[in-house]
Amino acid sequence: MTSTGTSDATTAETTTVTTTETTGAASTVLARLHRLRHSNAWIFGTMLLSACVSLAASFVLSIDALLLAADPGVNLSCNINAVISCGTVAESWQAQLFGFPNAFLGLVAEPVVITIAVASLGGTRFPRWFMFAAQIVYALGVVFAYWLFYQSMFVIGALCPWCLLVTVSTTLVFGTLTHVNIRDGNLPLPSRAQAAARRFIDADFDAIAAAIVILVLILAVVLKYGSALLA
Amino acid sequence: MSTQARTRTRELRNARAAAEERRKKRNRLITAGGGMVIVLLLAAIVISLVNAAGNAEPQNDAAARGGTAAQGAAAAPANATAGGALSVGNAAAPVKLEVYLDYMCPFCGRFEQANSAELERLVADGTVRLELYPLSFLDRMSSGTEYSTRAANAVATVADQAPGKLLAFNAALFADQPAEGGQGLSDDEIAGLAREAGVPQEVVDTFTRRTFESWVASSTTAVFATGISGTPTVKINGVTFEGDLYTAGPLTAAVTAVKGS
Repeated sequence: MTSTGTSDATTAETTTVTTTETTGAASTVLARLHRLRHSNAWIFGTMLLSACVSLAASFVLSIDALLLAADPGVNLSCNINAVISCGTVAESWQAQLFGFPNAFLGLVAEPVVITIAVASLGGTRFPRWFMFAAQIVYALGVVFAYWLFYQSMFVIGALCPWCLLVTVSTTLVFGTLTHVNIRDGNLPLPSRAQAAARRFIDADFDAIAAAIVILVLILAVVLKYGSALLA
Repeated sequence: MSTQARTRTRELRNARAAAEERRKKRNRLITAGGGMVIVLLLAAIVISLVNAAGNAEPQNDAAARGGTAAQGAAAAPANATAGGALSVGNAAAPVKLEVYLDYMCPFCGRFEQANSAELERLVADGTVRLELYPLSFLDRMSSGTEYSTRAANAVATVADQAPGKLLAFNAALFADQPAEGGQGLSDDEIAGLAREAGVPQEVVDTFTRRTFESWVASSTTAVFATGISGTPTVKINGVTFEGDLYTAGPLTAAVTAVKGS
């Protein structure tokens, strides 16, 4: 602030200018954040990190499934109490919907996502049809992850921390994949829908939606199992 | 360019700018709304965590008490131990066998099928004093009917009123074990199994008073506080049996070995 005033009127004006400048600085920061969020580094970085987390969780769950198959009475590392119990979840039929442990799907699918993220970070542009196919397959994965979350919450009645991690990171990967596909026009959408989707992404509504979904997941877990988690 | 055309262009431009302004305003509103939802969700998470912490404390107190002072106020069945078990058999038997079970737990059913005859024999010949811990942590697996609690209460009632029929009733509950995740057995079905196991009708009639439900709840908490993490868990003279629980033989061999030593 450089202006110096003596009269009351000038002081009032000074105050107004300060406010505007602060708003200006805030909006520059916001604009920079906005640019960062739409940059390849951020999108594919998030995708890479989430896919790695998902892969690690799938790996642990696969090993647990093997241990359980070898010895049904085995005490798994994450059988923490009656509620947090990978064993209970892993022994359910839902955990082997296709006749093998679901976690194997993560072992197969996540490396593909990791490859896409790493190659894109390196500047590769994949063909539109490829990214569209990835979007479809991953959408199925998200549906499956949420179905499993629902089953473990309301049918099986036990939580498995690794599964929750998969649910959250799957959400993030799906979010970033959708983001980049809309940004780059990879989806065969009619032009009006594409424009609307583009505006949705530009307004950062997708980030807000993802945050709300993840917080709702956390709230659901805390509401249902809060006392058991802390006991 | 004619004046008319220029005016039209300006009007068009103004309209476009106004539309842009409206869109921006709407976006700001939506963003603010979304931000508010996020803040509310965060607040809800914090509040329910704080509430949950408040609820968890009394449970921990109960667990602490359960270990030392026998479940506080909860009415305990006769021949219940301080740790929350139902004791069966010769009090001076050389081997103490503790079995932690839940009537909803499928692996407890498999354990029971493999070993119940052997256990009955070992109790009958005075080798083993059996301590059964009927737990209720699988209540969540019976679609809200709290089968584990109802079954454990019935077993505790039998232990209290007709201790001679306890093992038979225990075996009957596992022989007709309901599927995990279903409704469990109804009160009538539990009563029927008890009658078949030889429990007198006047004892069966008291199951629905739920006399020992709070005892079951507090002993379940106490047991999990001692580090038991699942069922079936079997301890021989206080040492967890790590062998095969699901075929007849290994457990008997381990009991015999401990008795001999």
